[in-house]
Amino acid sequence: MTQHPATKLRGYLVSWCVLLALLLVTLGTAYLPLGWVNTAINLMISVTQAAIVLLFSMHLRSAHPTLRIVAASGFFGIAILIGLSLTDFLTR
Amino acid sequence: MASAAPPLAPQFDDVEQQRDASKLGIWIFLATEILFFGVLFAAYAITRVNHPAAFAAGSRLTDVSLASINTAVLLTSSLTMALGVHAAQSGTPRATVGWLAATVALGTAFLVVKAMEYRVDYIEHLVPTVNFFYPGPQSGQVELFFYLYFVVTGVHALHVFIGVAVISVIAYMAWNNTFSPEYFTPVDLTGLYWHLVDIIWLFVYPLLYLISRS
Repeated sequence: MTQHPATKLRGYLVSWCVLLALLLVTLGTAYLPLGWVNTAINLMISVTQAAIVLLFSMHLRSAHPTLRIVAASGFFGIAILIGLSLTDFLTR
Repeated sequence: MASAAPPLAPQFDDVEQQRDASKLGIWIFLATEILFFGVLFAAYAITRVNHPAAFAAGSRLTDVSLASINTAVLLTSSLTMALGVHAAQSGTPRATVGWLAATVALGTAFLVVKAMEYRVDYIEHLVPTVNFFYPGPQSGQVELFFYLYFVVTGVHALHVFIGVAVISVIAYMAWNNTFSPEYFTPVDLTGLYWHLVDIIWLFVYPLLYLISRS
């Protein structure tokens, strides 16, 4: 909110460049024969990209804590949903 | 130039409180959207854990180049949307309209590429219940992958379509000088929705298109 407009604009441009670079990395590494590590790398890059969009484009970096908690709650819900489901399927 | 002091609803003390309430509202909605897609990702995780080979085979049949182009298109549309919100906040309606129009164009481009992809899937007999045919082993499990592929990308494309429609309306409002540095909440909230649709795609892309490419 209190950020200087020019700083904000540069933030958008830099994060766009980083996001596109990460897209190339995730696409490129997918062609390396690494087995399950491919998916781990892809997901780590996706999480990084999502964090960039959340913090910069969606302004969570400077947002009120209430907003951050609400935003986190959705992802927390997914983590429980997928995590607890897989404790069953991965241990059969 | 930019008209209208922001209309202050009677339940709020001031404009800032009203703006915060709107933001909280859209974030609660976005959290439900995250959970909505979360169910699909959970279905994906369970099915893939049970049939890893079939998912690898299915993923190799998807069009990775079109999907990669679409990812870049969507990331760029997120940038133009952010610039549109910034322009609305700065009280420059013409720039706002321009950036929002660019976002609409990029969103539409995404949908066109998606349609091209679906067309190729149809020609290659990859559409479950319509014409699915896979000659290799585990054909039923590969079909499961394509069920998830069409449901996830279809529901996501529907979100993009809704986004394009809403941004068009917002651009029209900006054209009519509805927004000012004191009142740009509709642009801001639409932007948050658009960025979330972008984030969801950032997970859909590697999980559907990049399994076992080597």
